[in-house]
Amino acid sequence: MRKYLYIFKSNLMTNLQYIGNITIGFITYFVVIFIFANLWKYIYSDQSKLINGYSMEQMIWYVILTEILWYATSGRKLCNKISDDVKSGNIAYNLNKPYNYIGYALFSHMGEAILRGFLYTIAGVVIGLFLLGPIENFDLIALPFIILSSILATVINVILVICIGLTSFWVEDSGPFYWIYSKLILVFGTMFPIEYFKGIIEVILKYSPVYVTTYGPAKLLVDFSYQSVINIFLAQLIYLFIAVLISLLIYRKGVRQINVNGG
Amino acid sequence: MLMVVKNQIRCTLLALKYGIMKEMLNRTSFISNVLFMILNNASMLIQWLVLYSLKDNIGGYSFKEVMLLWGLAASTYGVSRAFFASAFKLSDTINKGKLDAFLVQPKSVLLNAITTHVSSSAFGDIIFGFAMVFFYGFSLRVFLLFFLFTVTGGLILVSIAIILGSLAFFLENSEIISDNGNNLMVHFATYPDGIFKGVTKILLFTLVPVGLANYLPIQAIIEFNITKIVFVLLVTSFIVFLANLVFKIGLKKYASTNLMSARV
Amino acid sequence: MNVIEVKNLSKTFKVKIKEKGLKGSLKSIFKQKYKTIDAVKDISFEVEKGEIIAFIGPNGAGKSTTIKMLTGILYADEGSIEVLKINPTKERKRLAYEIGTVFGQKEQLWMHLTPYDNFKFFSAIYDIPEQVAEKRIEKLKILFELNDFIDTPVRNLSLGQRIRCEIVASLIHEPKVLFLDEPTIGLDPVVKENIRTLIKRMNKELKTTIFLTSHDVGDIEKLCKRVIIINHGRIVLDDSMENLKYHYLNKKIIEVKMKEKVNLDDEEGITILKDKGYNLKIEVDTQYKNVADVIKLLDPDKIIDINISNIPLENIISAIYKNEDK
Repeated sequence: MRKYLYIFKSNLMTNLQYIGNITIGFITYFVVIFIFANLWKYIYSDQSKLINGYSMEQMIWYVILTEILWYATSGRKLCNKISDDVKSGNIAYNLNKPYNYIGYALFSHMGEAILRGFLYTIAGVVIGLFLLGPIENFDLIALPFIILSSILATVINVILVICIGLTSFWVEDSGPFYWIYSKLILVFGTMFPIEYFKGIIEVILKYSPVYVTTYGPAKLLVDFSYQSVINIFLAQLIYLFIAVLISLLIYRKGVRQINVNGG
Repeated sequence: MLMVVKNQIRCTLLALKYGIMKEMLNRTSFISNVLFMILNNASMLIQWLVLYSLKDNIGGYSFKEVMLLWGLAASTYGVSRAFFASAFKLSDTINKGKLDAFLVQPKSVLLNAITTHVSSSAFGDIIFGFAMVFFYGFSLRVFLLFFLFTVTGGLILVSIAIILGSLAFFLENSEIISDNGNNLMVHFATYPDGIFKGVTKILLFTLVPVGLANYLPIQAIIEFNITKIVFVLLVTSFIVFLANLVFKIGLKKYASTNLMSARV
Repeated sequence: MNVIEVKNLSKTFKVKIKEKGLKGSLKSIFKQKYKTIDAVKDISFEVEKGEIIAFIGPNGAGKSTTIKMLTGILYADEGSIEVLKINPTKERKRLAYEIGTVFGQKEQLWMHLTPYDNFKFFSAIYDIPEQVAEKRIEKLKILFELNDFIDTPVRNLSLGQRIRCEIVASLIHEPKVLFLDEPTIGLDPVVKENIRTLIKRMNKELKTTIFLTSHDVGDIEKLCKRVIIINHGRIVLDDSMENLKYHYLNKKIIEVKMKEKVNLDDEEGITILKDKGYNLKIEVDTQYKNVADVIKLLDPDKIIDINISNIPLENIISAIYKNEDK
């Protein structure tokens, strides 16, 4: 485990040099949040009203956190990197190294994601307080749960993206798969809480990655309850277990592919 | 004079043809780029479906009208990126001294510099945009106006890109400013102007002229308002003129500059 | 007839000075400090029609700046330039029809297109009618031996083939003057030689005046009749190749392998460069002693091997540079 922490740390340190570049991305983030805030202010013309159980402030804070998770993960970059590793044969060099490739990819990317997440959180809190003021009934006790569940959400997200990247063992371009996945997260996961979708879609979303990668942490932020904590952490742990299992399986199958083709 | 214009057009069209030929080299990736961009835009339908299930009217727009707005945002974006993709890389062209190659040619430096690259996925944006005309309700009038405003909006986006890109003549690291500026135009373009108020609204019709590229044209189509149509045409000509002027001033500075760092 | 006339041309550059450390970085945000350097300082020269002239100097000497001013890319601070009686600053576009440019380090060609398509594009740039363009492409294709790859996308060509295409592309409008900025940079010796032969042939057949910058001495030795050497923005030497050789090539290098040791100390006009007993390397100043006398001094019977050569032009030029620096 120590070596993975070391991988994590060195990647974090490397990315510290690029803090400038990361902060420039804030501009886009601010604009997105600003537009959403305007949109929800318009839709909640009666601001004391609840829609699908959420107040206007809750809706905007929800987007603030889901967008942080989105920018922190920067999945496209990761997917491209994994694809490149597979296609360039780089992955073969990792075979005889004393670590697991999945673990390596996960921890090195997390080094970057945690840093980005941290910086974006500062930006998010600033713009949130500026636009809305503090969240109503926010209890500091919720904080550790939100942070932990955000980290779990990112870990699961990263592993799933690694799985998608690894499909490059078999397909020419994993881009379309990533595209579908990212659209699922973006359209169903960042803008609206799951309760906004009705009928069968709501049911499906509750079992989809959306629930554990974006909805979960954001729900804990805007509507904390111990019941949600139990539900969300349980779901995240199950997802984590399955995601790790699937990634290892895909990796093992894929590597066999290399051996068959002789690299 | 007429001959000069004709020759310039011949050149520019040839450059675009070659740009398209390059993108077509790999036909599968060209088609998949186009298709995915159409799907990409279409996925936003879901967001609007949800929003309009809450309210029939958002920022003064009905669902169909918002889709038309979204369509115009896509088609103007598409036109600007499909044919003038290199306008959005202008600061890089300037910083790396790549303008020199165009300066020794007897043609418009600006036009040559912004037509060196064609983006295939942007064609998907154009197709999606025009599909929204049918979603809104096809009539020849709507279609022709939409076409007209796709051109004017595209020209405005390209002009903004030129002005932002020309900052490289005067500032260091202007690339960040220009990237963010161009992004701003895109982010605002897909949301109805009615949700913005006060200073933001003023900004959207001046400094970040999304209003002139998208909002006003949509109003003009919906209301069939001749004054607004003429106004859009005039404003577009002005912005194009302004972009030309800024680039010209910048180019003059480039040629007489004595700043070494800009040339290395 | 003079094709290029340059009088008292000057251009200064400002260079940013950055102070060290974080404090310096912060300071520079608010107030930039500049240092002015003379890129080109008061240079004058003329180039005649049909000439191949070499414009040489070390990196940063002002070669590119001069070429940029001659082609209208940069404006001069002071002095006057006329290329084909046209002022490049005032009539850049009109001049563009009359001149061709090849920048060895910057590609002007579309990489994914074939040379043929590229030539068609440049024909359009210079308003050349279709049929005329076809004829010229055919002619240049033969002159530059492009037949084997005229239909291969440029990105699949070797560097040497690419440069040949770059040159042809810049000749499509039959310019009266061709500016070649480092045309052989990065090429291997065989390809360099080939490019030089082609340039020479082109100059002969098309009578194009060629203005060449390079820091490859081989280019100059093989191609040019006249050389302008520039250093620190000033012209150090403007002379014919022959004169340059005559004045600076009055020295010969002799390397010999002897059967016995010889003593050449204190002989006038001889400098010993290397002495390893039986192996000698000496420099002979032919104004004082001719080569035959030296060989007599050595005793021809005892020579196992001998090699007589000129001082490489490279050394001459660097000697001139060094003199200037002092």
